[in-house]
Amino acid sequence: MKKALRKIVALLLLGVFLLSAVAGCSKKADTKASEKVLVIGFDRDAELLDTIKTAWYSDALIYIHDRLVSRDYEFGYRPGLAERWEVSEDGLVWTFYLRKGVKFHDGSDFTAHDVKWTIDTIKDPATGSPFRADLEAIKEVEVVDDHTVRIILNYPFPNLLFNLSNTAAGIHPANAYEKYGDDYGKKIVIGTGPYKLEEWIPGDRTVLVKNEDYNWGPEWMSNRGPALIDKIILKVIPDESSRIMELETGGIHILRNVPETYVEKLEKNPDITVYKEPATKLGYLAYATDKEPFNDVRVRRAINHALNREEIIQFVFRGIGEVAYGYLPPALKDEYLEESRELAYEYNPEKARQLLAEAGYPNGFKATLSADNSSKSSKLAEIIQRQLKEVGIETKIQLYDSASYTDMLKEGKQELFIREYSWPNADILDWFLLSERFPYPNHSRWRDPKTDELIMYAARRPTWAERAEAYKEVQRYLIEQAVWAPIYVPMQIIAVRKEVKNFKYHPWMLQYNDGFDIEVE
Amino acid sequence: MLKYIVKRIVLMIPVVTVMTLIVFSIFYFAPGDPVSRIAGPNVTPEVYESIRRKYGLDQPFIIQYLRFMKSVIEGDLGVSILQERPVIEMIKERLPVTLEIGLLGFLITFLIAIPAGVIAAVKKNTMVDYLCMSGTLLGTAIPTFWLGMLLMYFFAYKLRWFPISGYGTIRHLILPSFAIGLTNAAITARMVRSSMLEVLKQDYVRTARSKGLLEKVVIYRHALKNALIPVITLMGLRLGWIIGGSVALEIIFSIPGIGRLMVDSILARDYPVVQGSMIVLTSSIILANILADILYAIVDPRIRYS
Repeated sequence: MKKALRKIVALLLLGVFLLSAVAGCSKKADTKASEKVLVIGFDRDAELLDTIKTAWYSDALIYIHDRLVSRDYEFGYRPGLAERWEVSEDGLVWTFYLRKGVKFHDGSDFTAHDVKWTIDTIKDPATGSPFRADLEAIKEVEVVDDHTVRIILNYPFPNLLFNLSNTAAGIHPANAYEKYGDDYGKKIVIGTGPYKLEEWIPGDRTVLVKNEDYNWGPEWMSNRGPALIDKIILKVIPDESSRIMELETGGIHILRNVPETYVEKLEKNPDITVYKEPATKLGYLAYATDKEPFNDVRVRRAINHALNREEIIQFVFRGIGEVAYGYLPPALKDEYLEESRELAYEYNPEKARQLLAEAGYPNGFKATLSADNSSKSSKLAEIIQRQLKEVGIETKIQLYDSASYTDMLKEGKQELFIREYSWPNADILDWFLLSERFPYPNHSRWRDPKTDELIMYAARRPTWAERAEAYKEVQRYLIEQAVWAPIYVPMQIIAVRKEVKNFKYHPWMLQYNDGFDIEVE
Repeated sequence: MLKYIVKRIVLMIPVVTVMTLIVFSIFYFAPGDPVSRIAGPNVTPEVYESIRRKYGLDQPFIIQYLRFMKSVIEGDLGVSILQERPVIEMIKERLPVTLEIGLLGFLITFLIAIPAGVIAAVKKNTMVDYLCMSGTLLGTAIPTFWLGMLLMYFFAYKLRWFPISGYGTIRHLILPSFAIGLTNAAITARMVRSSMLEVLKQDYVRTARSKGLLEKVVIYRHALKNALIPVITLMGLRLGWIIGGSVALEIIFSIPGIGRLMVDSILARDYPVVQGSMIVLTSSIILANILADILYAIVDPRIRYS
């Protein structure tokens, strides 16, 4: 029997080793000792490494591709692959003059044809690109010469600069799909960016290696040439506490979206610096505005008055976050309505009860309160439930996983519900509040001709400044109508280990190229 | 014997078919679809519909199901909606990772459970027995994922002997394998002990002892061999449990195994991947049980299949 046992043990061991070989366990190490390697932690991976075909981007794509337009630290639109651009008087013709001497990772030259192919592919309905609607304003793309491209619009649309500076607008080499076939977006991704794709193991890690030839970084970066870090590894760690432990033990160097609950602990750690900046996110309580009693503006205002937002930020976010008064995050400096705070509805349960009585609900009413099943949302739901109860609104909490939540909202079953958006542009209001977006993403079921008119007017102003002013008017109206009850603007929390030098916070991405360095241990 | 095995394997077909039908209906009738994930939150209904059409998700239930079964019969598990890769390729990448941890866990189970069970049985009602049995009681009571977190906290975070998470070297495998091995060893050791106690009461053990054989020989050669028979069945049944238990471990330790593939696909409603991995998992659990039955016959010549 001992022999038999030994055999079984030997067999099991053999199995483990064979499987290691199959699974590539004994494969070469990712790094060499002298290399500068930066590891960043993420909670989930993208399904495809393709800016055109998926809405959930891997951060890897920020570094693999360049865009025509870049965004600096102040959210200003600055040259990227386009050295400069001109707009015609009527705002309909945009001419972009492209940088010369730029090469793709496969060695081919970057030209106007690549820009045309990228935009045309996104706009082609057969591609099924989620980004297509963002480029609705574009009528056609004309190649003037190899280094000049003309974009002709259907209507004035200054927000083109935003859309062209998004991750989704990363420039691909022309005919990339034909050239690389099914492997494109999985094993091969070609851009002109500071990093090349070395390896992608979906759900596990993405390894990026420095592009030695890179010398066309945007002018506002302190280092326009090749990056100082040799390799970036984007590591997926789905479990929250494991991510924090990895950061503390040096397994990862940078962690974005640190949960508020860990901030105090990490701030005490001398090896770690925690950066907190207001995010371009907004959390709000919404309601089906086409159903009773939410179709009455007095009820909507009463709900706004019933919320003690300071308490919510203390309870749910440990005080890390800001109270939201308006419909846009204040980080959008140009568009944010400064007087939101004065116009908005302060915490006043007495006034809430009075408004409810005026609307014919002296004893309040009953409703469901829906949210997704994340721990943050369930905490929010609990405290909102308690605050609403104080003014007589009895709610029943219903939690959904994210796919079911979306479906429920599409079907229009919601009454009160909690949402958070993350988007650095005022056009988010178009998405959520235009009648044509009903019933989804216009989940607050707000069909109002005046809102439509104000938004369409704002979206099609010929210049950025006029557009920003017009969007303020939209916000003023939304506050008056109490279409939502805005609650909080969370902080973007980034934890960085001491090995990382010259880290500078950027509202949108981590600027590895900007003099950003790391010590090799 | 061969006939029996063939029969068992043929019987797998209806089981797997019923399973696919159940999983398919659950997903068809459950809310949510993969398009929201592809398209993101800011999508117009028109774009949304065009993506749905692209993947045939606008078709009625029966058409979608038949289409799926047809490709399964042709040996094709389909293509992931979100990753646009063949499901079989994704499973091939992920399954060995899970099996690797599972087998190492099995090995640890074996190495701990058998000595512990035997010692506890031989030294019945002594301090050693009580220690072993209270240890195993604790082991059966602790959920695998929690044990995994404890091991991670002490051995990776505090002592820094092992990496916290990830996959790639044998050092990454140790903690998750121990989490599986220890919890599994607990229940197995109890089984070995009770089975040993049963066997030690048998006449042939008394005969062996009265022949004047060494106690060691009696226990290991005569008693243990017979005591292991029920343990083999248990091990076969535990395979499903190990794969189930590894889902949570794969998330905690960030291991790209099939459990995580399944959870991610369920959350994203990537139907073909969920279906494909369910088919592979169900089949492997059935196969493991068949294997246990075969082993059973080899170890115990009294058992015959016809």
